[in-house]
Amino acid sequence: MKFGNIKLGEIRESQIGAALAVSFLLFNVIFWAYPFVWLLILSFSDWRFFDVPTFSGLKNFFIVLDDPEFWRSLWNVLRFLGYYVPIVLTCSLAFAFGLQHIGRGKVFIALCFLLAHISSGVAYSLVFTKIFSSTGPMNRLLLDWFGFSIPWLSSPSMAMFSISLVVTWKFVGYYGLILYSGLVAIPNEIYDAAKLDNTPPLMRLFKISLPMINSQLIMVLVFAITVAFGIFTEPYMMTAGGPMESTNMPLLVIYESAFHRLQPGRAALMAVIIAIVSYLAIKIMRKILEKNVELV
Amino acid sequence: MIDLKKKIPQKSIGSWVITVLMYILALTWLYPYIWMVMASLKPTPEIYHTDLFSGSFTLDNYQFLFDSAEKLNRPFLKSLFNSFFITLSVTASVVITSAFIGYAMAKIDFWGRERVNNFILFQMVVPAMMLLIPQFVLIKQLGLINTYSAMILPVMVSGWGIFMMAQAFKGTPNDYIDAAKLDRASLRQIVFNLMVPLNKSIVAIVALFTFTGTWDNFMWPLIVMSDVDKMPLSVLLATFSKQYGIYVGPVMAGSVLQALPLVLLFIIFRRYFLQGMSLSLK
Repeated sequence: MKFGNIKLGEIRESQIGAALAVSFLLFNVIFWAYPFVWLLILSFSDWRFFDVPTFSGLKNFFIVLDDPEFWRSLWNVLRFLGYYVPIVLTCSLAFAFGLQHIGRGKVFIALCFLLAHISSGVAYSLVFTKIFSSTGPMNRLLLDWFGFSIPWLSSPSMAMFSISLVVTWKFVGYYGLILYSGLVAIPNEIYDAAKLDNTPPLMRLFKISLPMINSQLIMVLVFAITVAFGIFTEPYMMTAGGPMESTNMPLLVIYESAFHRLQPGRAALMAVIIAIVSYLAIKIMRKILEKNVELV
Repeated sequence: MIDLKKKIPQKSIGSWVITVLMYILALTWLYPYIWMVMASLKPTPEIYHTDLFSGSFTLDNYQFLFDSAEKLNRPFLKSLFNSFFITLSVTASVVITSAFIGYAMAKIDFWGRERVNNFILFQMVVPAMMLLIPQFVLIKQLGLINTYSAMILPVMVSGWGIFMMAQAFKGTPNDYIDAAKLDRASLRQIVFNLMVPLNKSIVAIVALFTFTGTWDNFMWPLIVMSDVDKMPLSVLLATFSKQYGIYVGPVMAGSVLQALPLVLLFIIFRRYFLQGMSLSLK
């Protein structure tokens, strides 16, 4: 009797489990798998949201590859990475080393930096637009102290640099914490041995610290590349892709062509290509830089 | 978990200099927030021409947002309500569905569980960017453009949330669950009265990160919502600033409103935020 009861209970439970899983899958059939069907249709057809999609073969493909805006946006991703990676790596490494040497108030300092990470994109983009504006506090400070001002967001050669500064402001706390978790795991004996050998500090940095936190550095780089390909709010709010398309990032081009020029096919295909390129970029970066660190 | 409390006994002058430097930098990092709050409290003409803590302080900018902006067809109070409504609905739904499905994935044996698990892992690595346009087409087909549902439905269930909860639930000993079953506890009771209280911090982490992510979401509502009465604050603020950018004071007041809930959450639940961030380090 009792035996039977338990068995009955178990059958019921596995059914409940399966039902929960099926409901999860059903949700994803509608909101995740079905859109893939549309992705396929959109990529190979002419459509302007209102008429019936007509098959157009590889036309979209050629349009995208022929589109100077598309190439410009990829070039802009590279430019962004060119500014962003060195700046954010230096800053978050400095943050991580600094955090290691603080006796008191570590949590407070980490929280100050992380507050930038947990903040609304629209809000801080607006704030930085004002701070960087031609009469804003940044330029006032520069004028008062050094007698010149900088066209932070209004010059084609500066705008991308300014945006990468803002993104750095946002991510330093998080990246720094990642690097810090790697640094504290390095055994002190290695540094002691290096000190006995009179290894200069810079050598210790490049021969011990950086190689030992290889996996954390790779993680930060993966995040940085993902941000570079997927950034939208900051350029949309601060420069709207300008001046002279110097900050026109892939998602802005996709947004423009889908919703202002009503070319969803071209936009959808572009998103696929950008996603593949970002995947490859991460893969190549890992291939070159990733090393297995083992403590013998 | 990163151990921020671990103290390194160093009392050299160098480490003092570093500590002071780090404090100065930390305050510098807060500068944009401080400037935003100060600017929101000054009349627009004074914002660029007074020092940070000087000028005549008033609440006019906030009053403008809530009274006059209505006449410019920018209902800020309503959009604040919209943001809270959308964000809280999504958060509640994600937490509940993640708890139940996460429990099934962690503690119930059923046919095909491994495959569902693999699907979740696969789904998490597929870039969401690819599905942006097709998901818009789907919402359009369903006739949901310009509705709250457009912003809530597609994100009601989260693979990430299920994954996080399942990982945590696996660590809860089966003995507790067996004891509850002997007492004839229902599935709902097991999840809500046993699993959730025992895994408080992971539930908090899923809730907090879902809340901040939804509140901060900008591109999706920008695409699916053009009706000012149903816009979340992020989008309304963006359109307001595009059109009336010269009203720097009100724009900054709006930014304060947009940023404040997240800042408060972060300060109150900082422990869980730190925990959640270090979970991703493994």
